[in-house]
Amino acid sequence: MDFDFSPEEQKFAEEVDAWLVENRDPVVMDHHRENFTQLSDTPERRAFMKKLAAKGWLGMSWPKEFGGQEIEGVYEYILNEALSKHAAPQIGKGVGIIGKTLIRHGNDFLKQKFLPLILDAEIEFAVGYSEPEAGSDAANMQLRADKVEGGWLLNGQKMWTTSAHFADWYWVGARTDQDKPKHDGLSLFLIDMDNPNLEVQSLPTIGKDTTNQVFFDDVFVPDEYLVGQRGKGFQMISEALDLERFTMFTLSPIANRSEVLADWVKEAKRDDTPLKDDTNVRRTIAHIMTDTAVAKALSTRFVCAAKSGGKPPTIESSQYKLFTTSLSQRVCKDALDIQGHEGTIMEGQDDAPLRGRFEGAYRATMNETVGGGSSEIQKNIIARRHLGLPKNF
Amino acid sequence: MDLDLAEEQQMVIDMAKAMLEEHCPTQLVRDMEDDADGVPADLWKQMGELGLNGLLIPEQYGGGGLGLLEGAFVYEELGRAMAPVPHFVSSVLSAKVLLAAGSDAQKDAWLGKIADGSAILTTAWLEPQRGQGEKGIALEAKTEGDGFKLTGRKRSVPYASVADQLIVLARSEAGVDLFLVDPNADGITKKQLLSQGREPQYQLDFDGVTVSSADRIGEAGSGWSTWNAVMHEGIILLAAQAVGGADRCLRETVDYANQRVQFDKPLGAFQALAHYMADASTRIDGGRVLVHEAAWNADQGRSISRFAPMAKLFCCETYRETTRACAQIWGGVAFTIEYDQQMFFRRAKALQLSWWDTPYLEELIAADVLD
Repeated sequence: MDFDFSPEEQKFAEEVDAWLVENRDPVVMDHHRENFTQLSDTPERRAFMKKLAAKGWLGMSWPKEFGGQEIEGVYEYILNEALSKHAAPQIGKGVGIIGKTLIRHGNDFLKQKFLPLILDAEIEFAVGYSEPEAGSDAANMQLRADKVEGGWLLNGQKMWTTSAHFADWYWVGARTDQDKPKHDGLSLFLIDMDNPNLEVQSLPTIGKDTTNQVFFDDVFVPDEYLVGQRGKGFQMISEALDLERFTMFTLSPIANRSEVLADWVKEAKRDDTPLKDDTNVRRTIAHIMTDTAVAKALSTRFVCAAKSGGKPPTIESSQYKLFTTSLSQRVCKDALDIQGHEGTIMEGQDDAPLRGRFEGAYRATMNETVGGGSSEIQKNIIARRHLGLPKNF
Repeated sequence: MDLDLAEEQQMVIDMAKAMLEEHCPTQLVRDMEDDADGVPADLWKQMGELGLNGLLIPEQYGGGGLGLLEGAFVYEELGRAMAPVPHFVSSVLSAKVLLAAGSDAQKDAWLGKIADGSAILTTAWLEPQRGQGEKGIALEAKTEGDGFKLTGRKRSVPYASVADQLIVLARSEAGVDLFLVDPNADGITKKQLLSQGREPQYQLDFDGVTVSSADRIGEAGSGWSTWNAVMHEGIILLAAQAVGGADRCLRETVDYANQRVQFDKPLGAFQALAHYMADASTRIDGGRVLVHEAAWNADQGRSISRFAPMAKLFCCETYRETTRACAQIWGGVAFTIEYDQQMFFRRAKALQLSWWDTPYLEELIAADVLD
């Protein structure tokens, strides 16, 4: 048992950290964007990702024949934790879900076209799984793909495509076989976001950014842009989630908010009395720091399980996600409770405590227990696969 | 970073598990509840023979010389078995107090006997209407001649009827001092007070009990800092004990939820109930890693001033919450003496309240973070 990184891992973590300090840029790295910092959605952030690519830090875990370095996934975990700690964009969908799925299942054309673009940070993707009728029931996608001469015609609607308004390509699940059972009728496609028959509609949120719904009106997709085998879409989506545990949502931003709150409490006063002398405040901070340590322990648990290379750490990551997202929300709620009436002053104003960091984070984290598999879905996974309880839905 | 167990660590766990399965059935735990002495001879002997009583004591005193991490593995098993033994007060607290501050003569006199189980030491710490910090120690140690006279009342002294020696925290002119005291000395009156966890606990009245200066452990006035450091290590083991208790409680509940049918479905097929169990398992599995991290840090010689109270706070809260949620799944039978659930339910709360309770631990953590 060892709770430290190996000397090589530690060296890499320090190298990344030093590089991020050297390349600090408030336009690219802004903690107030909370969970949206991970997106490279502006020219400045895309330029930053190009610099990261030049360091050779994209696709490190890929096979060498596709331009990777075949090193352990834990290095991508270390990289993403460092990026998120500095509120920089993260490696994610391209290197992870799309790159790794193409390497395993894509045809030569797709591999040759997309893998180099991913490694060079020349491309941004949007992912389209959710639909009005496919929320937690992800396999219930209804977006219809009909076979036509030379390709497919797609009609229907996607929901919650966060990156649709800036992405170059769209990674989409669609129903290619209407008569098959719902898990067996789905396929994956790559679609140029410039396709004129795609309509992106912004859905403003109470968080830091917009999300989108996307409408498909006879969108033609050539045959060669079908990813892997027809009908294997759902299996590939599930497999990609399992492959991507190392780059799933990071702990650093949440641990960072706990530290920011504690540091603020140390200095703040109310009625001329230090806030840190208030017993209720002290209790709250004690529980936040304890639960943050438990979240870190759960992340250590899934990273170690993923490193071991056995079966995918589905249970470990479900437990981590369940506990950590709920903690993330609680920290923001507790912070506002401590700040009291001043906590309501909206983010971005100098007169707000911490410039309204927690007013904004309270809104931004609302969706964490829903997106990426809701807390209830995680509990169902844990109940069935970990505890051996019967199927309950 | 890895959470794999070394072969020897796995052997320690397997050994403890196998021994407890054989020598500590639940019926034994029931039989020992409210017993005046509360030490099952066979189990205690087995633990001594397997080296568990001397696990944390250096080899030069006949112990195993293992670290807190191995201790945590064993304590998870003790918690799972609800083992009714004086191990914590004798082999952990008393042994560590002597190791940290005892004279050579004190160490030679007692550590070997603690290690082989032939002597039981216990600690007399808490007092009525007083707290769990340094200020709580009021029992007077009045200087008299070459020694001291102890006067006052101690509460919640475990296993006092079978103890060979007491380690008493007392208030002297110098501050808090620790003394080795014969529990049968003149002037000591013992009274058993039944407790929620049903292990033997005594109230001890000290009426001018004479101790010599050679019975003081460590320098004058150093008692609290010794006790505080030993407690920080000890509560990591109690956190492991809580993990073990919670884990067994949950597993037995999962088995029941798979068998018991209502509305034509097993209970576990109802999400309202399954989600209680999923939450409990997440807290238990996370708490276990936190305990191991705390123990590992202690063994590396790093500070545990934050990790130790965090581990006990979180794991005891988890144990209590697990037993509460599991009681909902069992329904009415959990309320009866006949079913074992009530044994976990009582022990979880008792453990949370004992050996530094929630407010005390919260304050330790807050002080470490904020002050």
